[in-house]
Amino acid sequence: MPDTQALVNDFLNKLKKRKIEGSQATAKQTAELLRSVISQTRVPYTNQAAALIQSVKAVGERLIAANPVELAVGNVVRRVLHIIREEDLSLTAAAMAGVNLSAVSDDEDDADGDNQPVLSAAAIAAASRSTLRPPSLQTLLEDVPDFAAVPHTSSSGGDSEGKSKSADKSSRSRKLKHDVIEAVNELIQDISTCHEQIAEQAVEHIHQNEVILTLGSSRTVLEFLCAAKEKKRSFRVFVAEGAPRYQGHLLAKELVMRGLPTTLITDSAVFAMISRVNMVIVGAHAVMANGGVIAPVGLNMVALAAQKHAVPFVVLAGIHKLCPLYPHHPEVLLNELRSPSELLDFGEFSDCLDFGSGIGAPLLHVVNPTFDYVPPKLVSLFITDTGGHNPSYMYRLIADYYSADDLVLQRRATSGN
Amino acid sequence: MWWRSASFILDGQQHQNDGVAPNPESALLSSPSMADSALNPKSNVSAYYQTRAAHHAVITSDWLAQAQAATDDGDSLGSEAQIGGKGEGSGKAFSVIDEFNNWRKQPDLAEAVAAIRALAAAIRKSEATTMMELEIELKKASDSLKSWDATSISLTAGCDLFMRYVTRTSALEYEDFNSAKSRLIERAEKFGEISCKARRIIAMLSQDFIFDGCTILVHGFSRVVLEVMKTAAENKKLFRVLCTKGRPDRTGLRFSNELAKLDVPVKLLIDSAVAYTMDEVDMVFFGADGVVESGGIINMMGTFQIALVAHSMNKPVYVAAESYKFARHYLLNQKDMAPALRPIDFGVPIPSKVEVETSGRDYTPPQYLTLLFTDLGVPTPSVISDELIQLYL
Repeated sequence: MPDTQALVNDFLNKLKKRKIEGSQATAKQTAELLRSVISQTRVPYTNQAAALIQSVKAVGERLIAANPVELAVGNVVRRVLHIIREEDLSLTAAAMAGVNLSAVSDDEDDADGDNQPVLSAAAIAAASRSTLRPPSLQTLLEDVPDFAAVPHTSSSGGDSEGKSKSADKSSRSRKLKHDVIEAVNELIQDISTCHEQIAEQAVEHIHQNEVILTLGSSRTVLEFLCAAKEKKRSFRVFVAEGAPRYQGHLLAKELVMRGLPTTLITDSAVFAMISRVNMVIVGAHAVMANGGVIAPVGLNMVALAAQKHAVPFVVLAGIHKLCPLYPHHPEVLLNELRSPSELLDFGEFSDCLDFGSGIGAPLLHVVNPTFDYVPPKLVSLFITDTGGHNPSYMYRLIADYYSADDLVLQRRATSGN
Repeated sequence: MWWRSASFILDGQQHQNDGVAPNPESALLSSPSMADSALNPKSNVSAYYQTRAAHHAVITSDWLAQAQAATDDGDSLGSEAQIGGKGEGSGKAFSVIDEFNNWRKQPDLAEAVAAIRALAAAIRKSEATTMMELEIELKKASDSLKSWDATSISLTAGCDLFMRYVTRTSALEYEDFNSAKSRLIERAEKFGEISCKARRIIAMLSQDFIFDGCTILVHGFSRVVLEVMKTAAENKKLFRVLCTKGRPDRTGLRFSNELAKLDVPVKLLIDSAVAYTMDEVDMVFFGADGVVESGGIINMMGTFQIALVAHSMNKPVYVAAESYKFARHYLLNQKDMAPALRPIDFGVPIPSKVEVETSGRDYTPPQYLTLLFTDLGVPTPSVISDELIQLYL
């Protein structure tokens, strides 16, 4: 395992120094790293899912601590944990279902030599139904046992089960890892192709002779617009430049090269131009559990302008951006302050910013937040690789992709949040 | 052009007719309610609010009259006004209502859980020999519980959940009736334990939303919200609470008492001062008597008002409710609920021509609520109908 340690440390460094740009790249690399961690983990014969989860959690906590603002890291870690739990459960259910059932309910099972534990019909039914559902009224009533205890709650006899267990487990041991790695590969595949999947839906949303507004530059948005262009829709794009990084300039250039009529405006002009716009399409940094969006700075203003003029505000986000956490104090906790040099030229303002001058503290402070929080009521539609959704539907998606047990990953790692 | 009809005139006539007629509820109503209808010219006073008031040991003149009128069945607890009555009409030696009343007295136990425990006891004591028979008995017991207080949403919801649960577990193939019965009892007990656990889960989930230096506005005495505050105080969070006085049963005073014990800075407001102080408030916390299918909540009178003010000033409104309070009503307006009336003591005698609005609760539509803290997670109000559909259909 020194191999994975080196990989992990290397990745941690990159995260800490913010060398990886963009949540898609981060998500992909995290998934690949976790895949190697899983394949390297030695699993014992019994309760292997727990061992896998342990090792993934250990690495995951360090990754999240390295860059708490990049939520995609945490999302991927939680996805992988959920995958492990799911695969384990489906394997257990398959093992139980494939076994001979006798009609005896809770009595001692007859310890015959073959490797088939005797299980009551009720337990089978319970186990097969106990796929990882999020906690709901149903599960409350049905008293679904903990997934780790599912193999053990079935029959009361310990011995014969123990024997059969070991036989089962050895065939299952390789299977679990194999299944998990396959699922993680699928996850990596999904992350890589999220742009294409989202772009496929472009034609349904962009119509002929429309005017689209966007701010800054997002690769998802670029692909989205180009996909519509390719389907012979002709429309016009307003690009707000996205100070202080002015990435809107780059986006405008890209769009023109692909043949789209583009207009460049400043951020302050958004309110003035919004009445001429049919739709606002933006990317997101992360989507929170309540449907709120962490987006590049300036988008809250655009969302408010869109609401005022009843313009639909559409957010494009790959599934790896969906975060199961709640934004408790979004302006403070999930924001990153970048260098003031992006705003001001040090040369001109050095006397205002200088700590050495007389007073000891500079009178001029420069704050350069990276992100904005857009509350869910301002968002009209989320377009993800699985389709278009309401902000209030995010809860359902989170329940599908994450397990409730993994949400507290962050708490032990970081002090804040 | 539609004019609002002067329907209040017709309503007034109807009320007079109703008050004279005997209480149409079934004979299983406990006697204090009947005695109550003799005192009040209006129709049945909500027993639910009587229970809550009893927990808070609020003695009003009405109470004293009821206590004298009610028959004592020997397990009176100290100075608390006794409202338990015997269930009449069912010739069984065991009465669900009795059991229910016994459980209900505990101030920490939610009413729905008391009902579940009573139903569990009903299973235990039943002499049925087949599953069908057991189900029928249970249905009778649950119906009698529901009719004992037709106004309590959580009671109805709790009974419904339990019945739903029974009809689903009987689908499992238990060869042996006794083991099935014991399994049912076991799960009913577990469901009963869920109450305290649910409150703790909710308290845990809501911790992150209470940040240091925040000001919380609270209305009504909700044990769940109290638990939330307790946990936050234990975690050494610095926050202060503004508490509405909660006329007419002074719930605010009791709540502020409890909070003062926890060393949390509390400030009492009169109910009308809510808009005045909404500026300094960071979030509003409510409990709920029931959560309806639209995602709105039914809670003590005044909740809707406060939610409106908070919404217009962009303050988040959080509701803490356990999951067994989800009920299958879909309310469209305030009058859609069964009325739950509560005697209001103004301290001075009111002339008889003056009517008093004695409804004890109101309905807050889901668009004024931000998040619901339940033991199933922290969903937005729109998810509630999803949950209910999953369970009931």
